[in-house]
Amino acid sequence: MQAAPRAMTEQPLMTAIDAALRQAIALDAPLDQRLGLIRDAVGALSAEFATAVDRLVARLEAGGAGAAAPAPGQPMPPFVLPDEAGRLVAMPRLLAAGPLVVNFHRGHWCPYCRLHRAALAETAPAITAAGASLVIITPERGRYGARMRAEAEDRFPVLTDMDNGYAMSLNLAIWLGAELQAMLGGAGWDLAAYQGNPAWMLPVPATFVVGTDGLVVARHVDPDYRRRMAVEDLLAALG
Amino acid sequence: MEMHQIRYFLALARTLNFTRAAAECNVTQPALTRAVQALEGELGGELVRRERQLTHLTELGKQMLPLIQRCYDSASAARDLARSMTTREAAPLAVAVSHSVNLALFMPAVAEVFRAHAGVQLKLMRGGGAEVLKLLKEGDIDLAIAGPLDEPWERLDSWPLFSERFELTVHADHPLAGANTVGAERLADQKIFFQAGCESRTEVMRRLGVHAFAEPAGHQVVTQHDLIALLEANLGVALVPASAARGASLRRVRLDDAGLQRTVSIYGVAGRQRSAPCTTFLNLLRSAEWNAAA
Repeated sequence: MQAAPRAMTEQPLMTAIDAALRQAIALDAPLDQRLGLIRDAVGALSAEFATAVDRLVARLEAGGAGAAAPAPGQPMPPFVLPDEAGRLVAMPRLLAAGPLVVNFHRGHWCPYCRLHRAALAETAPAITAAGASLVIITPERGRYGARMRAEAEDRFPVLTDMDNGYAMSLNLAIWLGAELQAMLGGAGWDLAAYQGNPAWMLPVPATFVVGTDGLVVARHVDPDYRRRMAVEDLLAALG
Repeated sequence: MEMHQIRYFLALARTLNFTRAAAECNVTQPALTRAVQALEGELGGELVRRERQLTHLTELGKQMLPLIQRCYDSASAARDLARSMTTREAAPLAVAVSHSVNLALFMPAVAEVFRAHAGVQLKLMRGGGAEVLKLLKEGDIDLAIAGPLDEPWERLDSWPLFSERFELTVHADHPLAGANTVGAERLADQKIFFQAGCESRTEVMRRLGVHAFAEPAGHQVVTQHDLIALLEANLGVALVPASAARGASLRRVRLDDAGLQRTVSIYGVAGRQRSAPCTTFLNLLRSAEWNAAA
């Protein structure tokens, strides 16, 4: 493993990202603008890290990562996954009550995912009004899901997808690569401990809106994890 | 990564032969080559190198092989799970739990699997460490929960759940009941029971260094349940893992050697297909926070 760049090994990085995150959460603007605040903060803190991320994203985009995930009109394969309290959540049971929004997140440590969750929380009343439910799937073990849920102001369950098995079955798993593994590890983000395996794999962040018939109504799958489904698109898909 | 890409790569890694790998995967050789190249593009380096007749894995290929295999196995299990949910067919949850492990710890997880899988058929076996391992090897069960299994079998997969110390259990009326901690020297003249078949038995005895310490000849206690019954009758003291069941009239005393501990893991067999309830049970246990419970 290569040595982590100096800027990434220092605690201030996380503190600065937290500050940018709080600012982004408070900002009343479209989601992509709020995500941009975090992107700018990361870029200002470590150009080296931002460049490595650009390289990863370019590689994933060139390879069409996530493109073969279920598309609108196709069936969403059902899942049974444990939530943060160790209760099993089954997709068919959720669909029996109404449409479902399935989000794949990278983990409790990812500022983009944390902001995305905050933005989803703001739409919770509209999601409930549409008779829909929403789940967040991460490859992290239950304790981190519990941490995410405690931090958030919503009631969305965080489901654990061990070893990215469900994500991989949807063609959504990616490998971070040695460079980013060294950088993230150097910054104190121990994905191996969070996930309970040494693979350093992640899901491509994605949002699927699934109808009660089990078919995908809309999806946002983007190997550039700094972009997420616009809140307006999500609500439009729920009708 | 895409499922077909990693399936082709795994076949190629196994056969080290493009023609055979393509035949195995039921695709043309150019299709297999294209898919592996696409995977290489996404991973950012060559996985397989073809030199004249000799096909071999690169360093990156060797590094990625176990990771990709694990990911593929998990994804296949997720697909089987999805399929079984649509067919709603009966499927076994075949698990063996070592006598040294308190079964009650896993009942909430079993209950969850019952709730999620209408067609689950429970096969629950108990035994000492060696017996549990044998059941796993012979395919009687798909998963086992036990302390450390000293076993070189390369197909044995293990995932640690929690670590715990060994403690002394005594009757409330026993002279040691009031002690905060005890050292090995205070055990020398005690009648000590230790579950036969406990995976850590030899190691704990060696570490305690009490050669004289041995159960009275002829006494052999197999289950935690029986051990508790003996102690309730104040017939001796026992060394038990911290998560063992507790009796109403019994007290726990810490041993001053913090190294007297073990790790409880869940075991499976690499490459063996698991039923949907088994996959769910394994993921549930691996995802959970056990150190708080133990």
